Amino acid sequence: MLTALLPETILVVTALVVLGFGVSVPKSRQLITVATLLGGFAAAAAIFLLPVDGNFLHGMVVLDPLARIFKLVILGLGLVAVVFASDSFPEIHFAESLALILFSTVGMMLLTGTEDLLMIFIALELTSIPLYILAAFAKESRSSAEAGLKYFLIGSVSAAFLLYGLSLIYGVTGSTNLHAISNLSGIPDPLLIAGIVLTLAGFAFKVAAVPFQLWAPDVYEGAPTAAAALIASGSKVAGIFILAKILTFGLGHWVGSAGWGQFLPGWAPVLALMAAASVLLGNIAALVQSNVKRLLAYSAIAHGGYLLIGLSSAGPESLTAVLFYVVIYALTTAGAFGVVAIVEKQRGGSRLDDFDGLAKSSPVLAICLLVFFISLAGIPPLAGFFGKFYLFTSALADGRLLWLVVLAVAMNAVSLYYYLIVLKHAFVFPAPEGIRPANASASGFLVGALALAVLALGLAPDLLLAPLVKQNGKQHEAFRAPRAETHPPTLASSAILNSGH
Amino acid sequence: MQSDYLLLTVFLAIAIVFPLIPLAMAWAWARLFSPAKPGKDKQSSYECGIESTGPAQIQFQSHYYLYALVFLVFDVETVFLMPFAAAFLKLPFSAFLALMVFLLLLVEGLVWAWAKGILAWK
Repeated sequence: MLTALLPETILVVTALVVLGFGVSVPKSRQLITVATLLGGFAAAAAIFLLPVDGNFLHGMVVLDPLARIFKLVILGLGLVAVVFASDSFPEIHFAESLALILFSTVGMMLLTGTEDLLMIFIALELTSIPLYILAAFAKESRSSAEAGLKYFLIGSVSAAFLLYGLSLIYGVTGSTNLHAISNLSGIPDPLLIAGIVLTLAGFAFKVAAVPFQLWAPDVYEGAPTAAAALIASGSKVAGIFILAKILTFGLGHWVGSAGWGQFLPGWAPVLALMAAASVLLGNIAALVQSNVKRLLAYSAIAHGGYLLIGLSSAGPESLTAVLFYVVIYALTTAGAFGVVAIVEKQRGGSRLDDFDGLAKSSPVLAICLLVFFISLAGIPPLAGFFGKFYLFTSALADGRLLWLVVLAVAMNAVSLYYYLIVLKHAFVFPAPEGIRPANASASGFLVGALALAVLALGLAPDLLLAPLVKQNGKQHEAFRAPRAETHPPTLASSAILNSGH
Repeated sequence: MQSDYLLLTVFLAIAIVFPLIPLAMAWAWARLFSPAKPGKDKQSSYECGIESTGPAQIQFQSHYYLYALVFLVFDVETVFLMPFAAAFLKLPFSAFLALMVFLLLLVEGLVWAWAKGILAWK
């Protein structure tokens, strides 16, 4: 049991040590960053060198190869945010910001390794609360305070929705365990429908789907860029992963249908409507943005819509496509935010004008920007193209969602315009006077590495796709089969719980 | 199926009406039995019965909330400690370790707050 949670434990201990550095040597920011990264690498090693598979504490903690892949991806995205932090977080309380990034990452990692509604909620809160603080971390900046307050208020209301939804699902099915819930079937109780809709509303906030998207532009724009990168990448991966798990595994019987002219009640039509609205609003509102971070926020809303299309088609193939696409999207967005962070530090803003002549002043950075934005737009040979292609073809597999896919592809053509506008500013417009090239920094190298990863996953998608297909198929089989508890609860806390009698 | 939805509707109606009843009763009571008779003394703000001094909209120290937060953490801690203490003799050693880790986490929080200068009154 304790070895099952070893990666998370290492991260928490690292965060506590980093907090200690924050009060003992607050000035040495490099030492603090290196210590954080070392803890992260140790956790990554623990994920792979000590593989523990099984089901602990009645499904509170569940580990399988698929969860392990996603824990690694999320940990990687958390460490990316740690590296970007040195460019975008204020120097005061620097160690605390890194510790908060680690705490949030722990929440996301726990989220990928559980199949219990209670644990899902707690892990989601552990993810969100540090993110609220991180969004408001630049205390001198009004927009950061605004971002934090908006994120906190809307986030806590949506958490209430989610908790209410989950409690209704528990009330109807009598279990908080997804596996037990999935064994029930039949005509859904009206209360269960209310529960499913409320749960969807809670998660729609997490993935910024219309009509729960209002927080996203202000938070992405106002929050320190590293915090925005984590919100846009890691938090999204974890949210989509657990949403997919709840819907396809836990509530698989009540999928319904979103086919044109053949609507059936269930969660698929709700998701399909949110997806259509997100794709429309995200892509059209992004056209008029003059700030690149805001533009990325609307692009995130649109991409959330694409992901929901995949989920609402609800096939095993499309689930793999969604998981593949969300990883690609997270890597690309994290990289794009990295470029924005460097430009912001160099020129003091992230407006479109601030990207003028980037190709002249820092050519490598501009090429990385090109890779990320072209990949977001979905142009071959980059990873974004293959992800979208796979997502849309798998959603089309049974032909019912044609209307949604046609809408998404049309809107994707619209998205090309605003991505290319940014690139036009970077490559065509002349640089303003007196701009010096950016110094080589850790963030710069990381951005380059992310660009290479996006390129590599476009040329050889099998690197990520093959393990996903394999593990996802296995999980489908495993979930359908009745299972025994592989490890009875052994933690000291359960000893406390059981000692009453 | 239909009747199930009917039940939900009835619930909704009751949920709306139920809080309205006491509000309406309070309003009716105020209208019927205690008509408003404003006066100089009645409208002055009440401060422990003595004459009010100065305006009410002044700035005050919000710093105190940090003490309240730290206090709250340790207050909640006792809620966990009490049942542990009551069942102490029946518990295995691992439970003792688990609780010590919990206490250590809280103590680190206090030490951190102290070192950050949060406990110094400004």
